[in-house]
Amino acid sequence: MFVIKCPHCFEAREEEEFSYGGEAFVARPESPETESEENWGDYLFMKRNPKGWHWEMWGHSTGCRKFFVLKRNTANHTIVGAWTLAEARKIYDAEEAIA
Amino acid sequence: MLNSTTNNTSEFKPVMQSPLHPFGLAAKQEKINDSKGAWANEIPLLGYISLRGNSQNAAFVSAVNSALNITLPTQACSMINAAWGSILWLSPDEWLITCKRDQRASFQQSLEAALAGIHSQVVDNSGGYTTVLLKGKNASDVLHHCTVYDLNMLQAGKVVGTTFGKLSLYVHQHENGYSLVFRRSFADYIWRYLERSALPYGFGIAQLNDGQ
Ligand SMILES: [Zn+2]
Repeated sequence: MFVIKCPHCFEAREEEEFSYGGEAFVARPESPETESEENWGDYLFMKRNPKGWHWEMWGHSTGCRKFFVLKRNTANHTIVGAWTLAEARKIYDAEEAIA
Repeated sequence: MLNSTTNNTSEFKPVMQSPLHPFGLAAKQEKINDSKGAWANEIPLLGYISLRGNSQNAAFVSAVNSALNITLPTQACSMINAAWGSILWLSPDEWLITCKRDQRASFQQSLEAALAGIHSQVVDNSGGYTTVLLKGKNASDVLHHCTVYDLNMLQAGKVVGTTFGKLSLYVHQHENGYSLVFRRSFADYIWRYLERSALPYGFGIAQLNDGQ
């Protein structure tokens, strides 16, 4: 069981209160109408699924019902932190720039 | 069979019933005493108004404050009690206002008037919610069977949305017990779950003060 600190409720809560929302910051194609089938399929289905650090979205379904971003290690379930989408975007972009 | 009676000229008269009406709680209620560890009852047919808006927008907050003559709780998981009811923080841009049923129209009107031109939403949700009060010396024990939330963290003036069995609700302290606010369609499940969870302690239907 995870204990997740919701960045909107500012409190650590049990995992049961949350629902998983998939990989975070998957870029949606600019114009879906003209995008190739292959690229659109990749956007929908091809996720990184790494062993190790993973940026993912969670929803606080029984609480504030907001979505936010979590950085979690998929191998040992260490959680570095949880941020609002806007806050996490900056950290994510900075890390991606280095990687 | 539909339309089987041709002489049925009786007028359609809708009757307002609380979600827990089928349990007949009013007839079973008794004064809280030491014979049982947990006491509960519904506060039926309150008024519930959903308020949405940007708490960072000073115009929004001051319009709400002046319309209701309160200070909107903008801090996460906080609430305030007013003489006429309460305002619960549900999320950074959403609040639930509870009041007497017959006050809701006037609250809604004054909110809508004050918020004219401000990005916001005021919706009468009175048909969608109900409230149950849980009291008694084992109230916390009973609730701990039902939710994953650590009730030691639930100080007065705080409201949290959390689990209740497979469902969700809002819970806050109320006098010497808890107030559970939940959706109408959850009422049957939540009441039966409470009854079952309270079995080890004894479960009574509490006679509540008028309006409480
Ligand atoms: Zn939350």
